[in-house]
Amino acid sequence: MASVKIKNLTKRYDKTIAVENVNLEIKDGELFILLGPSGCGKTTTLLCIAGLIKPEEGEVWFGDDMVTCAEHNEFERPQERNVAMVFQDYAIYPHMTVFKNIAFPLEIRKKHKHEIEKRVEEVAERLGISELLDRKPKQLSGGQRQRVALARAIVREPNAFLMDEPLSNLDAKLRVYARAELKRLHKRLGVTIVYVTHDQLEAMSIGDRIAILNNGFLEQVDTPENIYNSPKNIFVAGFIGSPPMNMLDGTLIEKDGKLFVDLGFTTYDLSNRFDKLKKLKSREVILGIRPEYITISKEKIKNSIKAKVDIIELMGRELSIHYRVNENTLIAITKPTEDLEIGDELYLVFDDERIHVFDKNTEENLITKNS
Amino acid sequence: MRFLRFKRVILYILLIFFVIVTLLPLWAGIMTAFKTEADLIYTTPLQPPLSPTMEPLETTFLIMQRPLLNSLIFTLIATILSCFLGSIAGYTLTKIKFKGSNTVFLGLIIGIFIPYQAVLVPLVMTMVSWGLYNTVWGLILTHTAYGIPICTLLFRSFYVGIPDSLINAAKTDGAGTWIIYRRIILPLSLLPFVVASVFQFTSIWNDFLFGLVLSRGEEAMPASVALANLKGGFVAMWNLQMAGTLWYTLPALIVYLILGKYLIKGFMTGAVKG
Repeated sequence: MASVKIKNLTKRYDKTIAVENVNLEIKDGELFILLGPSGCGKTTTLLCIAGLIKPEEGEVWFGDDMVTCAEHNEFERPQERNVAMVFQDYAIYPHMTVFKNIAFPLEIRKKHKHEIEKRVEEVAERLGISELLDRKPKQLSGGQRQRVALARAIVREPNAFLMDEPLSNLDAKLRVYARAELKRLHKRLGVTIVYVTHDQLEAMSIGDRIAILNNGFLEQVDTPENIYNSPKNIFVAGFIGSPPMNMLDGTLIEKDGKLFVDLGFTTYDLSNRFDKLKKLKSREVILGIRPEYITISKEKIKNSIKAKVDIIELMGRELSIHYRVNENTLIAITKPTEDLEIGDELYLVFDDERIHVFDKNTEENLITKNS
Repeated sequence: MRFLRFKRVILYILLIFFVIVTLLPLWAGIMTAFKTEADLIYTTPLQPPLSPTMEPLETTFLIMQRPLLNSLIFTLIATILSCFLGSIAGYTLTKIKFKGSNTVFLGLIIGIFIPYQAVLVPLVMTMVSWGLYNTVWGLILTHTAYGIPICTLLFRSFYVGIPDSLINAAKTDGAGTWIIYRRIILPLSLLPFVVASVFQFTSIWNDFLFGLVLSRGEEAMPASVALANLKGGFVAMWNLQMAGTLWYTLPALIVYLILGKYLIKGFMTGAVKG
């Protein structure tokens, strides 16, 4: 196992930029997630690590080994990198039995026949596919195929595991199960995993750390908690969390020595929590609040916003309620015990501690940056 | 209901009629091959022989055995060579991205459209200078080279359907280009191999022009040329010609009988995959 380091990675396809100047340090034994919408460059980054594509600029390091250096035109072929990869479509060799599939990387390395047999059986046992070893891939279900792909990856001891959306072809129920399974496997093996996904829930639930990519740029790298609670900018705030963070346009103003956000229809008192923002007054900002930090009140209280119930969605354990606030829609998550009906008028109260203020122009989070 | 059944009957009558029309030459050929010279005069081509004889078949076999053997040798070798080379070229063009691969492919496509007649003179001159004129090897080389473009095209269109992730997986598993071809691509290519080899076998076996210009005597003469020589100078010996045709058709027929089942399957997979 090894750490993986990426320095100033840039990859272009003709004129379109797939990845621009990305720097990452993935620690040894870490389950590291590359997260982003489709076309953000996450798979390109992964393929650069694997050596399946050659970047225009930048370096890739496994521990102390430099495997790619575009400046000096050094490039180790994927065959020599000793990384194991799990693909979205599993890429199981269709003409080989499950046993042969798992044994393939070992046979290429010319291991002894007995050793191959022993190790394949061990891995199959661990993943619960021992009874499938004689079958052809055609005879396997999606979940079983996914396990075979995983078994082929862990049968050897690679520098790192690279996984390209390995769970996205499974049905929802199986996915939750496979997610937990993967997390357990990672704990037990203590291996470095670089995991690509577009599913933020998957990323939040299994990742040690997450890198969020957008249009080829790295937006933020941090633990799931930090990314959720202190997103660096509007993109991260909007991408992570479901339902997404509520955003309201406003302007910072100072009144009687106190700081407010003028939302147009009302002013929101920032309660002097963010003194440092005072020097930014009259700047255009976006006020962000996650749905679960909005509570409702029947009466008008200080700093509350008048709202009208627009849509009620039952999500099982909770209700997701869309409110009309002036011209905007705000979503709040509420316990089903609240007796609400469409058209009800009430007041929304934001949790002061959980407010985010973003600069409308730079899209940066002004609070994490300044406090 | 009744009208529908009537339509069915008409349809079948028509179909049977077409089958008969199609099979008539074959019937006439087989009948004629067993006729004596006298029967050729006394019977129409469609009538069975009055006194059946094996003589035409025996005579023509003696004349044609060496050409048949020549044809068999160069057809088999050229078929195998062009299929493998086409398969390797198809793999390279689809799965190994290199600069200029599209240009190479374009060149191959253009190669398909160059008519045989256009290259005859330079071909013969080249073969003479290489010392391959009037040898089986000259024919093998010519047919292999001429088969590569169409085989490449065929294999390429099949390999496009093999997902790249399979190749990438093999690469990260540690397999080099040649091992990937041998252990992943080749075992998956049974169907295109059947289609390409049937196509190549029949077109090389049936070729007349290259055989005619590249051979002079017995040593390299293909069966197609020997068959044409049976025509005779002054009298048309139809029984000999038809008997020779039977010998000539036999190998292609055997290939179809053995590989026909796979051939249909091959065409079907192509059709379904689009």
